[in-house]
Amino acid sequence: MTGDPIRLLPPGRHLLDRRRFLSGAATSMGSMALAGLLRGDGLLAADRPPVDPARPFAPRPPRVRPPAKNVIMIFCAGAVSQLETWDYKPELIRHDGKPLAGGPPVTFQGPAGELARPQYPFRPRGETGKWVSDLIPHLAELTDDIAFIHSLTSKSNTHGPAENFLSTGTVLDGFPSLGSWVSYALGSESQDLPAYVAIPDPRGVPQAGANNWGPGFLPAVFQGTPMSASQPIRHLTPPAGISPESDATARHLLQQMNARHLETHPEDGRLEARIASYELAARMQLSVPEILDLSGEPAPVLRAYGADDSRLPLKAAFARNCILARRLVERGVRMVQLFNGAYASGGELNWDGHNKLKEQYDRHGAILDQPAAALIRDLRERGLLEETLVVWCTEFGRMPMFQKGSMGRDHNPDGFTCWLAGAGVKAGVSVGATDELGRKAVENVLSLYDFNATILHLLGLDHEKLTFEHNGIQRRLTNVEGQVIRGVLA
Amino acid sequence: MHPGRWILLAGLLGLGPAAGAPLFAGPEGSPPPAAHHWSFEAVRESPIPETRDSRWPLNSIDRFILARLEAEGLTPSPSATRAEWLRRVTLDLTGIPPQPSELDAFINSTDPAAEVRVVDRLLASPRYGERWAQHWLDVVRYADTHGFEVNTERPNAWPYRDYVIRAFSRDTPYGRFVREQLCGDLLGEDAATGFLVTASVLLPGQIGKDEPSIRLARQDSLDEIVVNTGQTFLGLSIGCARCHDHKFDPVSQREYYAMQAFFAGVEYGERDLHDPDSEARRAEAVRVADRIAALQRQITRHVPAARSETNRVCVNGRLNIERFQPVAARRVRFTIRETNSLEPCLDEIEVLDPEDRNVAAASEGTRATSSGDTVVPDRHELRHIHDGRYGNSRSWMSNEKGRGWIVLEFPKEHIVDRVLWGRDREGQFDDRLATDYRVEVAVDGGDWICVADSSDRTRFLAGTTPPDPFSIVAPEAAPTLRERRRLEATAKELDGGQRAFAGLFRAPDTTHMLRRGDPEQPGEEVQPGVPAVLGLCHVPGDANESARRTALAQWLTDPRNPLTGRVWVNRIWQGHFGAGLVPTPSDFGRNGVRPTHPELLDWLAGEFQRSGESTKHLHRLIVLSATYRQSSRGNPVALSRDAESRLLWRFPSRRMEAESLRDAMLSAAGNLNAAMYGPGFDLFDLRGGLSGFKPVESFPVSGLRRMVYAHKVRREPEAVFGAFDCPDAGQSTPRRRESTTPIQALNLFNSTFTAEQSAAFARRIRQEAGDDPTRQVRLAYRIALGREPAPGELADARDAVARLGAEPLCRALFNSSEFLFLP
Repeated sequence: MTGDPIRLLPPGRHLLDRRRFLSGAATSMGSMALAGLLRGDGLLAADRPPVDPARPFAPRPPRVRPPAKNVIMIFCAGAVSQLETWDYKPELIRHDGKPLAGGPPVTFQGPAGELARPQYPFRPRGETGKWVSDLIPHLAELTDDIAFIHSLTSKSNTHGPAENFLSTGTVLDGFPSLGSWVSYALGSESQDLPAYVAIPDPRGVPQAGANNWGPGFLPAVFQGTPMSASQPIRHLTPPAGISPESDATARHLLQQMNARHLETHPEDGRLEARIASYELAARMQLSVPEILDLSGEPAPVLRAYGADDSRLPLKAAFARNCILARRLVERGVRMVQLFNGAYASGGELNWDGHNKLKEQYDRHGAILDQPAAALIRDLRERGLLEETLVVWCTEFGRMPMFQKGSMGRDHNPDGFTCWLAGAGVKAGVSVGATDELGRKAVENVLSLYDFNATILHLLGLDHEKLTFEHNGIQRRLTNVEGQVIRGVLA
Repeated sequence: MHPGRWILLAGLLGLGPAAGAPLFAGPEGSPPPAAHHWSFEAVRESPIPETRDSRWPLNSIDRFILARLEAEGLTPSPSATRAEWLRRVTLDLTGIPPQPSELDAFINSTDPAAEVRVVDRLLASPRYGERWAQHWLDVVRYADTHGFEVNTERPNAWPYRDYVIRAFSRDTPYGRFVREQLCGDLLGEDAATGFLVTASVLLPGQIGKDEPSIRLARQDSLDEIVVNTGQTFLGLSIGCARCHDHKFDPVSQREYYAMQAFFAGVEYGERDLHDPDSEARRAEAVRVADRIAALQRQITRHVPAARSETNRVCVNGRLNIERFQPVAARRVRFTIRETNSLEPCLDEIEVLDPEDRNVAAASEGTRATSSGDTVVPDRHELRHIHDGRYGNSRSWMSNEKGRGWIVLEFPKEHIVDRVLWGRDREGQFDDRLATDYRVEVAVDGGDWICVADSSDRTRFLAGTTPPDPFSIVAPEAAPTLRERRRLEATAKELDGGQRAFAGLFRAPDTTHMLRRGDPEQPGEEVQPGVPAVLGLCHVPGDANESARRTALAQWLTDPRNPLTGRVWVNRIWQGHFGAGLVPTPSDFGRNGVRPTHPELLDWLAGEFQRSGESTKHLHRLIVLSATYRQSSRGNPVALSRDAESRLLWRFPSRRMEAESLRDAMLSAAGNLNAAMYGPGFDLFDLRGGLSGFKPVESFPVSGLRRMVYAHKVRREPEAVFGAFDCPDAGQSTPRRRESTTPIQALNLFNSTFTAEQSAAFARRIRQEAGDDPTRQVRLAYRIALGREPAPGELADARDAVARLGAEPLCRALFNSSEFLFLP
């Protein structure tokens, strides 16, 4: 089925197809850089476009100008209850304390208890009159800008695999994250910063950890680089004990060595790429501390985000991460993942409200609400929302019943809410619905494949064509599933 | 054992049927058309080709390579220098650069067989097994944590890693290597079955309590075994047929589940490792434990008696002794009236006669009754009260809070004088502890007589540690106590022998087809079997667990299996040249890439068979070939035709893997710790978990071992070298990517590791070369790069060394492309 393997390997051919699809012109700078980065993998056997060694993250814009250039993904780890936030269920108030007829006797953690009313009052908001809970009053004010998807479903009711599924399109470990796919496809607008940054929550990383921003089997250059306002990138500066003179000498000797070596192997693009990587690293040594330094942000901005809230240090820390997210997209970083909530901890550190849901959500809501809302407003005021897609997501939802003997809700992968806002998104709509008690999606039932296909679509990428060969399979973010959710497109 | 029979698709494989086996020729008498694919056909050896240039080839490999080059109008490159070849072959076979002494000896040698001697030396080196095991561990995605939900430590995974290293070092014939990994528990290589359970897995506590979650988790874990087996040995993506028939290869969804059925009795878990050392330790441990128990019973004769006007120590969770005057008894009743919390729990009641015999044991015919039980099967059951096994997981629990009773009825009357009881003799639990209780005895037809109760014990106080039950004993017990203490120390050392995360084997479940792969939509039952296109592996429907694995192992390693040998020789080829003759090493299916040199692949597969499946024989052939000996320099004509050197007109250079890079730095610095085997050294302050990994910056000596001995945490890349495309052990990595990132540059230039090893390297140079900067530069180049510096290089570096010492030079060398790439 394959032609002469020497001329063009199938993966190479696919890549070329992809490149045409991605860049339109096979000779653009972007495609050259992509080719340069991938050539080391033996994926491109034939034509050898010259590498632009100074631009390993060169932009690779799709042919048709897409609605969104960048993505900020607010990832709420631990499974936010749709019933306490965006999915208003008045019937659940009426059925408070009654058993759920035909409901599961046992859910993830154990025996199910009785139906429990939403733990926060809901009220209509904005022009659309969308009912949203008092848990998140600041975000609630933005509902006119948001496209809600209320009928999402997941393949797993376990945090780790479900986060894998949301972030990588499979419940298993080891697959590329959405952000890796995006930076692989589109490169970056920034030549001084990584294309893809993951900002962990100040409380810790989510259950599936680095899987959420890992490269899987894509080249490592496309992985998310974790950094936050409080945790910069490692190894930005030489360790103590190395004098500036020694450091400069080592750098100078290295440049000479690598340049000489390249002279004897002039055709080897990998050697050029290595030289370029040291140059980009040197630029990052300046750009990363600069971008992490929020001291130049005016006081009103800090106040708007809640970054000055001395009563709630976790909120202030998350707010600083929100400001960082804005600064990163401002400088052209392609994909920013902003985590809210850490790993499973009985609901103490994330949204996993099994036991004392109300008490814990009071705390978590305060951390998320004002900073995230301020981020969206700030993006809008700076005109960045026109080219930035904001995604709010969580791995699954929660049951309408309380667990037996507890004041919290168990995992529910059968119907939950995520939303989109910003570039290319139809503002003020709600797509799909759960049943009247919020147990299952019943109207326009959608999967996270569909959700991810829609995100790629808004970036100008066709989820069926964005592929990478691994172990004999042309892998996609959406496996063999997924349809773009048209109802949320502007 | 019923070895599976290899029954052939005669037409397809071009071979006769196995002796006594019926001919199998597809459902309609002919192979399905989808079956025609090169790799499914029998290995067919063509004659070794003639070449126009007869002087260049050194062995048969070269004639295959040269014939193709000549056909394409290309010529081989000149030989690499002797120094380049030595560096290349040493890095390639051992992952560590040659020492200057080895370099000198080889360059100055006039022995015509000098290369052969080098290769023999390298293959005999323990460093070889460590290096090539890493390639295999990549494929099977080995790690020392469980991945997935909590990523906790998998503390006894490493016996499998050590097994792989040993297997390479010993040159275990490949077929045997495969069989050991599927059923080594039956072949005297018990750790080898670690292969089956290398994947990430949800542990029981992390799976939902609801039935669908439990079924899905089981399916996911079985899928990993099928995927691993299919990819690793057959180079087939069988896992693609989990939800639907394979889109490219002739593997139906039914056949996927037939493959799954081979493993339907395999569980992810840890078991005792049955190797001679562990067996001996375990046998000794049993003897010591018996002796301790006997001594302990002796000592119980010397504790203060109950109801003797003496104040006795308060109760504790482990062991309490009720001693009383010898009394005749047919029954003993233990009544609990209060606990420190919840329903009472007892792990064992022993009733001793004056000769220390436990007459209450179930094995003595004693029957137990109770006031009522909380039953958790295999954990809390009434029978555990006198089953001779200790610990919470073999205990009785009452069904009432704070109260309950047990009656033990002996088959006949005995004279008894002690009752021993505990909550958890293993010491894990001290809740549910009886704090107010009474012990009574009765003879047939007699009333209950109280022989002991808690009234003369010090009151139990929550939050305090109760004293040892032997803290007050009669002086004559002192020597026995001392003996016991000594034996307890011995027992701790023996620790029950080594455990291994190498799978647990039980009666297989029934396997069903699952519609769309959904465990909630089971279809018809499926028996173990292999994809029909590859032949037939006959397993009786009632085959037990080990017979299933054995049958599959036999079938996989039958010399007539067209895939197993080809896939392996191709992986070895890839290890040497960076790319296989089939560049998709785990996909020999229709979606994979066809071999560049199909005849060479089949010749190698045949030669491999003839050599007794010796992997080292393959290495020798390859690294002593003229093909391997070529320079890696480019030439414009060939570059324009075959930039990747897929036809091998030059040696294709490649970057060292992350592990080799770290090992090479340690070796150059003179810091490499050559200790082999055993538990992995720490890369972080944690050995598992989700976050908060603080990297070890400055390693102790144990952390300066080769990186294959690092405790591999899934998903958490090693802080410096992880960025060099080190697999995260989530999915199989049959071929490492080679990407270049600024994070690599930051790590390699600015890490403490680099700084420390540069300093050590500089010290070594000054020590060995003296103070002269020129000599220092020359030695640094010879150690790091295996060559003398050119005059310009010497000039560049000499001044720097004179001004600042060799440290900046060493740091630059460790970061240089030449150091990172094979010459």
